[in-house]
Amino acid sequence: MHRLGTVLLSAMLMPGLSAAQSPSPTDVDFFESKVRPLLVQRCHECHSTKIKKQKGGLLLDSRAAILEGGDTGPALVPGHPEKSLLMQAVRQVNQKLQMPRNGKLRAQEIAVLEEWIRRGAPYPGSTDTIKQTAGIDWAKGRKFWSFQSPALQPLPDLRDKAWPQRRGDHFILAELEKRELSPSKPADHRVLIRRATFDLIGLPPTPAEIDAFVNDKNADAYARLIDRLLASPQYGERWGRFWLDLARYCDIPEPWADYKGQPWLYRDWVVRAFQEDLPYDQFVQKQLAADLMPKSEPGDRAALGFLGLSPQYWKELLLDKDVIKGVVAEEWEERIYTVGSTFLGLTIACARCHDHKFDPISTQDYYALAGVFASSRQIDVSVLSDKESRTVQDAAAKIQILQEQIKKAKTDKSPEAAKRIAEWNTQIEQIKKTTPGHDRARAPGLIESSIQVLADGLHKTKVKYKPGVAEDIHVQIRGNPASPGALVARRFLTVLSADSPKPFTQGSGRLELARSIVTQGAPLSARVFVNRIWKQHFGTGIVETPSDFGVQGTPPSHPQLLDDLTARFMQNGWSLKWLHREIMLAATYQQASAHDAKKHAADPDNRWLWRMNRRRLDVEAWRDAMLAVAGNLSLERGGPPQELTDAKNTRRTLYGTVKRREINDMLRLFDFPDPTTHSANRIPTTTPLQQLFTLNSPFLQLQAVALVKRLKTDAADDEARIHRAYLLLYGRTATENQVSVAREFLRTPASNETWLQYAHVLLGSNEFLFAD
Amino acid sequence: MTTMVTRREMIQNLGGGIGALGLASLLATPSSAAPTGTHFAPRARRVIHLFMNGGPFGPDLLDPKPALHRFAGQRPAEVDLRTERQTAGLMPSPFRFRPCGQSGVQVSELLPRLATCIDDICVLRSVHTDNPNHGPALFLMNNGSVTPTRPSLGAWLSYGLGTENAELPGFVVLCPGRPVRFSELWTSGFLPSEHQGTYINHSDLDPQRMIPFLRNPSLSVAAQRRELDLLRTLNEEHRAERGPDPALEARIQTMETAYRMQSAASDAFDIRREPARTREMYGSGHFANACLLARRLAERGVRFTQIYYGNGQPWDTHNNHNEQVRGLARDIDQPIAALLTDLKQRGLLDDTLVIWGGEFGRTPTSESGNGRDHNHWGFTMWLAGAGVRGGMAYGSSDDFGFRAATDKVHIHDLHATILHLLGFDHERLTYRHAGRDYRLTDVHGEVVRPILT
Repeated sequence: MHRLGTVLLSAMLMPGLSAAQSPSPTDVDFFESKVRPLLVQRCHECHSTKIKKQKGGLLLDSRAAILEGGDTGPALVPGHPEKSLLMQAVRQVNQKLQMPRNGKLRAQEIAVLEEWIRRGAPYPGSTDTIKQTAGIDWAKGRKFWSFQSPALQPLPDLRDKAWPQRRGDHFILAELEKRELSPSKPADHRVLIRRATFDLIGLPPTPAEIDAFVNDKNADAYARLIDRLLASPQYGERWGRFWLDLARYCDIPEPWADYKGQPWLYRDWVVRAFQEDLPYDQFVQKQLAADLMPKSEPGDRAALGFLGLSPQYWKELLLDKDVIKGVVAEEWEERIYTVGSTFLGLTIACARCHDHKFDPISTQDYYALAGVFASSRQIDVSVLSDKESRTVQDAAAKIQILQEQIKKAKTDKSPEAAKRIAEWNTQIEQIKKTTPGHDRARAPGLIESSIQVLADGLHKTKVKYKPGVAEDIHVQIRGNPASPGALVARRFLTVLSADSPKPFTQGSGRLELARSIVTQGAPLSARVFVNRIWKQHFGTGIVETPSDFGVQGTPPSHPQLLDDLTARFMQNGWSLKWLHREIMLAATYQQASAHDAKKHAADPDNRWLWRMNRRRLDVEAWRDAMLAVAGNLSLERGGPPQELTDAKNTRRTLYGTVKRREINDMLRLFDFPDPTTHSANRIPTTTPLQQLFTLNSPFLQLQAVALVKRLKTDAADDEARIHRAYLLLYGRTATENQVSVAREFLRTPASNETWLQYAHVLLGSNEFLFAD
Repeated sequence: MTTMVTRREMIQNLGGGIGALGLASLLATPSSAAPTGTHFAPRARRVIHLFMNGGPFGPDLLDPKPALHRFAGQRPAEVDLRTERQTAGLMPSPFRFRPCGQSGVQVSELLPRLATCIDDICVLRSVHTDNPNHGPALFLMNNGSVTPTRPSLGAWLSYGLGTENAELPGFVVLCPGRPVRFSELWTSGFLPSEHQGTYINHSDLDPQRMIPFLRNPSLSVAAQRRELDLLRTLNEEHRAERGPDPALEARIQTMETAYRMQSAASDAFDIRREPARTREMYGSGHFANACLLARRLAERGVRFTQIYYGNGQPWDTHNNHNEQVRGLARDIDQPIAALLTDLKQRGLLDDTLVIWGGEFGRTPTSESGNGRDHNHWGFTMWLAGAGVRGGMAYGSSDDFGFRAATDKVHIHDLHATILHLLGFDHERLTYRHAGRDYRLTDVHGEVVRPILT
């Protein structure tokens, strides 16, 4: 828009013709006989509205279009051939701008164009061609629903005034009533505690917990249940994992990654942040800029793993620098995609090559953000205080000396040497033991440092970093690093800024970006987060595209609900635990999940939440629950990961090793997301291969063995054991019929083997895998 | 007979939707009767898709371009087309062609054995797609859209036809590694998840290694059946209390499929059970093994078998193109010829559609001296078998094999044609999702009728 304005203005001031004047007959004659044929034959193949894909954004079939120009600016200055890009291009004086591509014009032809421009470039008979990308209408763009500040909403009128328990219920019920639907009955207490426990801590309730809840006749029994679960140390582990999907977390990155620090420090930081209910706006900022925040602690630098663990792409330095620049540009795109999708629910990366086709995000916006990432380098960072760090460094130095001594001594085969080696090894162990933090010195993080991709000789490339330096970068026209456009100041998105966004001034601008996301960007960042949490609880979101709140995303099913909840979430200090309570204490959440033929016919997808959705446990909860009911689950928290294939691994699945390039079979079979990319939500699938795992995996067999052992300790006879099993696994006692079916099964032959098979069946059942 | 009645009743009870058919077929006995989900009589009942991931260059193989020699090193106006990377002048293909078979269709010296099957093959020389990047092009070829969220062709077929053999997955993907974009290429998208492709890495020939957890290490078949009967009883009771729920139902069904898969797959996926003569006919290597495996699966009623040539994108010859393509062509020539011959001998070629091609082609212009860039403007694919005219070259590319020129076939047209051969009107095979009816071909696609018998 801005550029078009300039062009019109300059056209009026230029000598020769203004757009409004009509050309003289001699000019018309000159144009029609000499210029037009030339343009048609040699230029329009790539630069005309008549073809689908124009090159370089340039059209040469109207005067206005020529004056507006293409990617590299206005094509000519009327009256001034020497100032005209078109002349440079056809004279082929500039290596990068040589037209036409299929061979130079003849000298005579070049002279014709020169004369034409001198005459003011008359273009008779051309209607002004409108370019396909007319620029973004920011005022209009800012009006889109998701960019509006969320506000408390008036509660709608309801027929059934007794049902709602929280504000959110009013909005749900209003939509149901509008459709002549009604909510389901409240869920049974046993169902409710199982649902809530899996939901908040990813484990089944124990029989004692169920008992206590079912027999608690106080009005606030359920609220206290939620409080207890939110305070459980297992809560952070459950919800931390949800975040790690978005952050494409892995324990073992690509082998060529620059960082070698311990990724689990980031995982543990996330878990702790959830556990401690770190306000979400803080949570966001620390992950993007903990190193730059004045009040952050050394341990907080682990939060930088969100970006520090970003996938790195192979840079073959034998190739030309433009190729490597392309790879680096891909990495920026990955960061922008992940940050944009995770925090803002915007597909900003779509604006890399052209303005976003649907949302008000310009290419300039894209490169303004790319500059932030181009000025931040992925590298290991210390998560210790300076003092601790020094101690650890001293210890490491001592260990290194000892290790060198050991290495030397190993050449000597004498018994004395062996003795000395053993002693030194003991010393090493001792140093490790007495040095807190020796094993968690460094985490994948970020520092302020800008990247330089430089030619190394004629064909090769070198990558250099300038520590402490931040740099703006140029627009890459059509996403091509070899085709630089305007330099763009690092800054936040235009559409989320009140007027033109101000350039970032502190270093890379990462902290300013982080702050912008939770201040100007709050309408999106808060809404997106609230919707994600809602989706985790219900299985469906208010917005069904949790990482796309743009024009292409789905509109909210309950816009007032989302607004009201988000506004209050912000008022309540961006507290996730507040949000959990608000959602789970609502009548909507506490509904039964039972089928209803009539309602199902009216709303088969349960879009209007006339019941609770039945949920299949995700792979983490399923595996953890099996370990838990078998009495095998280790609740050891944090630290280095352990392979899930290791039969001795009885820790929560959260701690299973995730390799970026090869996912463990169990995780892969059960919809674990690809950790090379941001995963907006898991897509549940049901396949025979999953059931082969259920039927045949050593894991289930091991748990069956442990479960039987536990049942035999816990209860005296078969019937009691059957009930005990039902209580442990399903949170209820077995029916008479189920007992007799089980006894029948266990009778032939009555053996421990048969018991193992029975336990295996219970573990593999739908009732265990699904929460009503 | 009883099964048939039950099946028919079931379809009627469920209102005759195609989704119901998918389910009905799942419940059907092995080797069930002709599929009933189609709109008209199908010519093909199953598909084998040989995917040359990375993108092969037609003028090396099936689309001779003598003009490349005359204009070697030059860059005439018509080849000044934008692809992914910068390319220089024209680089001739050094491989000689000769007319082959009764039909006289030209085949390159790189494919001497395939040349003997040319009378069964319909070469499409004018295919084009929308994007010169692997990801979007892979998606368009597999999912009918450059965005990664749409159901794949195989998923649509599984949805429309169900499986012919409930003991095996209806849609199998073979790759001795991981093709780029991996499982997104065989996703069920918004279709029910039972229709997603079953990915199998066949680089180890032991079915138990191809399919994780295929056998139970300790239980006898009888003991396991007993276990499964109990599981089914409990699961059905659980479901009955809760009313219809596709997620519960799908797990019950797939549990039975998994049980039968143990023995059926141990047999079907084991090419070591083939006579030595047959193994020799196909030759050695991952691709040969995959082709033989595909025939065994076709024989056993797998609807859609997709073979990715190799890990990553081996046909993506940005460097040393000629040298690489020699090896690649050698690797596919014998196995594909064997597959076509074998299918024909067994009478399977009559109702098996074989598709060959990449996600796009390559440029006739050179990249970094001796490589070729991606080319979405025009490329070569071929079809063979069920309902397709053999010994035919359809459409043409320009003089240099850069751009599709006459009788152009867009991927949407190809998809429409494939669906047509399988008995579907591509405009009527739809699924209601997010408020509208989706189809594989979106709002595009014309059946390429001249290539049909």
